[in-house]
Amino acid sequence: MKKIRVILIDDERLAREEIRRMLDAYPDLEIIAETANAEDAVELIEKHHPDLLLLDIQMPGKSGFDLLEMLQQVPEVIFITAYDQYAVKAFEADALDYVVKPVRAERFSKVIEKVRNKLSRTPSPQQQLFVKDGNKCYFIRLGEIYLIESMENYARLYFRDTTTYLKRSLNQLEMEVDQAMFFRINRSQIINTNFIKHIEQAENGRLDITLHDGKLLQVSERQSVKFKANNRLKTKFN
Amino acid sequence: MAIWILAFHLYHYAMMQIRIAKENARLQLAAKEAQLNNLSAQLNPHFFFNSLNSIKALVASDPEGARRAIDLLSELLRNSLYQQNNMLIPFNEEMALVNDYLELEKIRFEERLCYQIDVDKEQENWPVPPLSIQSLVENAIKHGIAKSINGGLVKIEVKEMESFLRITMQNPGVLKDEEVAGGIGLPNLQSRLRLQYGDKASLTLTQLPGEIVSTVLNIPAAP
Repeated sequence: MKKIRVILIDDERLAREEIRRMLDAYPDLEIIAETANAEDAVELIEKHHPDLLLLDIQMPGKSGFDLLEMLQQVPEVIFITAYDQYAVKAFEADALDYVVKPVRAERFSKVIEKVRNKLSRTPSPQQQLFVKDGNKCYFIRLGEIYLIESMENYARLYFRDTTTYLKRSLNQLEMEVDQAMFFRINRSQIINTNFIKHIEQAENGRLDITLHDGKLLQVSERQSVKFKANNRLKTKFN
Repeated sequence: MAIWILAFHLYHYAMMQIRIAKENARLQLAAKEAQLNNLSAQLNPHFFFNSLNSIKALVASDPEGARRAIDLLSELLRNSLYQQNNMLIPFNEEMALVNDYLELEKIRFEERLCYQIDVDKEQENWPVPPLSIQSLVENAIKHGIAKSINGGLVKIEVKEMESFLRITMQNPGVLKDEEVAGGIGLPNLQSRLRLQYGDKASLTLTQLPGEIVSTVLNIPAAP
């Protein structure tokens, strides 16, 4: 059986030792790396692509939340912390779970159960982003995003029934997202093609796309040609 | 005439009653304030949970260390639970607590926390508010050690000045503007000092070069 690969991030050595010991009881989870700070963690995560992070929130330098924001691809996350005040925040962030130190064995076994369930349901875990927006945090699966708009140095993400901003350029994001699902319709917008309600032919062979929420978007001439070619729409529209 | 005498006494009796009522109200208010104060002068709960978590790890890897940590934690817990009603305690009792506290935090932060305490023997019985110096040290750990990857040195020096005891602490850290102005992180201690000593006690935080914060607490001999 393929093991669940874990990276453990906590600034206290004893706290890491304790989590390690608790994980001894679960041979299907393997700690592939551990570290005391967020900066090193980013490197380790990008290198090893773990399935799961066991993550302390309050750390010197950058916090656990800061760390997640720095990642291009966010694995599943369990927050482990002594600080109760973060509970609400972590849950708003849809973390897989949140436990307080010291962690009771019973509670830990429930956490592991959740991890196993989650990771077995999605054999190749869906790509997700982490965004901290003021006091709110979001884990956003890429498939939930229906529109990305360029706003100077930021990208505005439309997802579920809300929007948030990510400090990343549209060009950068275009490279990161699944090309089969997302399409750059013009200089400033990328859409998720799964959310298209209908497409209309406009003047000059340009396309107008209406999204599921009724938003009407104009596809540039050049991208209209590309879109038609990609989707074999030529015959239908010409 | 008799009516006049009666009226005179009734009048004074009534005035006295009003005075007593006023005095009582004032005392009650003072008692309430003191109570409120005592309630908030507690050790930080996060500290207990973090310590317990360290001890849990030590039980397996270093049983002797775990035993020591339990002794320290018990002492601090006893203090926190039972010492609530004293408005003032002798300086040496406060320092014993500070020492226990630092030793425990050292177990948690390991090489990230170093500390040095320099005290003259003579101030042993100087009365200080409970958890006053401890609040300073806790603040230093929270902002200076826990937030720094490499940690640093917490240095405490106690000297008797003319009419007050001066506690000087230095720790790594960068003060934000609002901390210099209002003593964020230590508002509880500030208000306790004001209640206890009026403006005779003082607490000031200063930014020193090299990312060092200096805290000076002056406690007068008597309230």
